[in-house]
Amino acid sequence: MENGAAEKLFEEDYVDKMLDDKINKINYRRNIYDVGKVIQVKDFIIYANGLENVSFYEKVNIDNKAIGYVMKMETNCVVIAVLKQTDKISIGDSVYQSNEEFMGEFSKDAMGRMIDIFGEDKLTNKKYQDIIKLKIEEDNIPIMERTPVKRPLYTGIAGIDLIYPIGRGQRQLIIGDKKTGKTQLCLDTIVNQKGQNVICIYVAIGKTKKEVKEIYYELLKRNAMSYTIIVTAFYDELPPVITLTPYYALSVAKFYMLQGFDVLVCIDDLKRHADAYREISLISLKAPGRDAYPADIFYFHSRLLEKGCQYKNGASITILPIIETTSGDITDYISTNIISITDGQIVLSSKNFQKGEKPAIDYGLSVSRLGGAVQDAEMKKLGASVRQKLLSYLETRDVYELANIDEMSKELQAKIFEGRKILDSLNQYKFSYLSKDTIIKRFSFLGEDKNG
Amino acid sequence: MIGKIIAISDINVSIFADYSQEVKIGDILYTEVNSKIYRFEVVEIKNNTITTIPFASVIGLKRGLLVYPLKKGLSIEYSNQILGRVFNSYGELIDGTIIGDPHERGIYDKHLTLADVNVNNEILWTGIKVIDFFAPLSKGFKMGLLGGAGVGKTVLIKELINNIYKNLNSNAVFVGVGERSREGKELYDEMIEANLLDKISIVFGQMGDNPVSRSKAIYSGLTLAEYLRDERKQDVLLFIDNIYRFVQAKSEISTELKRVPVENGYPTTMASDISEVEERINSTEKGSITSFQAIYVPADDLNDEAVQTIISHMDGQIVLDRKVAEKGLYPAINIFRTTSKLIDIEKIGEEHYNLVSQVLKYLTRYEELEEIIAVLGIDELSLEDKNIFYRSRKLRNYFTQPMFVAENYTNIKGKYVKINDVLEDVKNILAGTYDNVDENRFLYIGTIKEIL
Repeated sequence: MENGAAEKLFEEDYVDKMLDDKINKINYRRNIYDVGKVIQVKDFIIYANGLENVSFYEKVNIDNKAIGYVMKMETNCVVIAVLKQTDKISIGDSVYQSNEEFMGEFSKDAMGRMIDIFGEDKLTNKKYQDIIKLKIEEDNIPIMERTPVKRPLYTGIAGIDLIYPIGRGQRQLIIGDKKTGKTQLCLDTIVNQKGQNVICIYVAIGKTKKEVKEIYYELLKRNAMSYTIIVTAFYDELPPVITLTPYYALSVAKFYMLQGFDVLVCIDDLKRHADAYREISLISLKAPGRDAYPADIFYFHSRLLEKGCQYKNGASITILPIIETTSGDITDYISTNIISITDGQIVLSSKNFQKGEKPAIDYGLSVSRLGGAVQDAEMKKLGASVRQKLLSYLETRDVYELANIDEMSKELQAKIFEGRKILDSLNQYKFSYLSKDTIIKRFSFLGEDKNG
Repeated sequence: MIGKIIAISDINVSIFADYSQEVKIGDILYTEVNSKIYRFEVVEIKNNTITTIPFASVIGLKRGLLVYPLKKGLSIEYSNQILGRVFNSYGELIDGTIIGDPHERGIYDKHLTLADVNVNNEILWTGIKVIDFFAPLSKGFKMGLLGGAGVGKTVLIKELINNIYKNLNSNAVFVGVGERSREGKELYDEMIEANLLDKISIVFGQMGDNPVSRSKAIYSGLTLAEYLRDERKQDVLLFIDNIYRFVQAKSEISTELKRVPVENGYPTTMASDISEVEERINSTEKGSITSFQAIYVPADDLNDEAVQTIISHMDGQIVLDRKVAEKGLYPAINIFRTTSKLIDIEKIGEEHYNLVSQVLKYLTRYEELEEIIAVLGIDELSLEDKNIFYRSRKLRNYFTQPMFVAENYTNIKGKYVKINDVLEDVKNILAGTYDNVDENRFLYIGTIKEIL
């Protein structure tokens, strides 16, 4: 203020005048205001100038060849992520504003069907009639509106329901190598929700069309599609679509949760999701961090999985994300990130799988942070005892592997026999469900030992 | 008016300014779209361009919007009513209450001089055997809690709140940075249940929040702790779960600001960011701040740059290890890497000191023996080694402990154990007094008296 010259230079509406002036010049020269021109094409990222009035995250149309959304606005251009493309984009193509935020489209008719974020039925390739627009990313449920996760969500699998139980509103990671039964675990869980008043959403991201179709028929065959929606972004879809699809699925889940439904969302899988995001980040020149993932890769997943919750209205969103690992390493960057977000993990081991243990759960590495809190008293008591005995057996087995069992103390022998029996009782083939009562009956031998 | 928005990305909004008013780093600016307020904090100033970071999502923002200054920078309102209340990162109450008769402090205000800092040596017992024995702490101590994902950091923190605070009868501040909302809310609910809520203030900037929010929670929490120390003259307990997330949030912001990163994408300013926070956590003549800081270890890599920088500020560390957790031994503490600067004859006395070195000697030998046994079997060991082997397994089991806050999960009642009992029990195990007691009976007990 003490500088008189500066005061004069920056009159009250100096900025206004200058900006208006510039805008007028642009308008006059190129006649662009709500329309922009493509100035650079870089895979699925488009740079356009003009579009002075566009909003962040607004949907835009590129000469009827493609649609996309505004992912960044720089001083002299707008960066657009292309979502759907029917024709090649070239320099100078017009970019039209839509004056609305890019929204996902959903229809209640998608129940029992397969849908993508554009509201298209993937089985027929036709758009649904009754479209509801949903924000791609809904706000998270505020911390003070959450209530404790307490009610069990039965998977019908003894090793899970008993030892590492899943509660409604919990986020439980399923992690393991290729061909260890990760997807199968999700399908089992979905089929077991029949008659439980749970809406299931299976999110297939970065899967081949063949795989998704097989999953659809598998669920259809077992009458599980009547309460299930498959949300999909195929392997060959553009990376922005792959990254947005799980967010969209959780917006759908929230839509049902607010109406009072318990919702189960399986996301298959998040490694592919992270890789798609890395692709976008590196193409848009964000600085790479660990393993070349961008610095906000944790936030990218944390805000997604935080949408799982037990809400104050009594309904919930349970999330089962999947991560595929290589050679059993669950300590890589993306896996540990997700593990640090979820409420526990079920680790599937290919070694156990080959030994014939099915489901191939690695009981030592699996964790449920909620544990007994989501079990009823009976299951909780039995579960705690089975878990402790099993872990203790597995550890003893490793140490005394080469020892002669006949020369062991009676106590040790008993422990080893009991451990083997527990492990055997946990074996269970796919799509064969054990109810709570059957599980309790199966493990009743633990109580008998004590009495005898 | 300050200026107009000229560029927008997820966490970076640039403003063209006229400088009719002075703008400083740390000032808060705002704009309004459809009666929704968007706030930004100034982080860089260059000629006419002001770079700011937005407090929340920027969806819907346009270029050309007018930006105005808020009167004050980030500050927190406090009074003697802050206890039992929940704040967000920006110092606003989120539990639907208001506090009466408030004073105000800027959240970046406080810096201590050497003369202010008080060195206090009174030992603070936690009642957790393995911590009191291997890593005792004193008032004003900074204890780091390290551990990969899902090995029990948060449970340990809750147990510490429960134990120490019942003893010390002092107030606490809990700062949730980038952790799960579910756990945050549960902590709040559990504090109510345990009748402890009126002794703790809570600040949440959880993992679903944007990086700006996550990077600010710590400052708001510190300001509350400083108030309790300086004006209420208390020995304050400060829990930070999780300090690593602060660095992580800063990296996300730094990437968006296009600053050059150091190793693994961490920000250039990492060391100074951490020092700025850690140097505020100190004791003065008026009172003390004893802090427990959970440190997440990304990709299970203890050599991670950020982890190492944080550790250099700690007086001691407790390391949680996945390998221990796999064996079902909780708290899953790796005693070889757990240290405290109080392990010193002058501070804890000769008996305790000697026992610690003897136990470490036994357990080191035990690790070697485990490998020998895996090849040759137990029978091949010498009598001395056999004794070490069996007694070490007993010690290992003895250092497990049922936790008050994990009663739900383990179904065993929590135990508080006095240090003298621990010393006595350890001495007896080492001396062979319990050689004929089965090792499994030492699992999850308080003192040995309970099982004799």
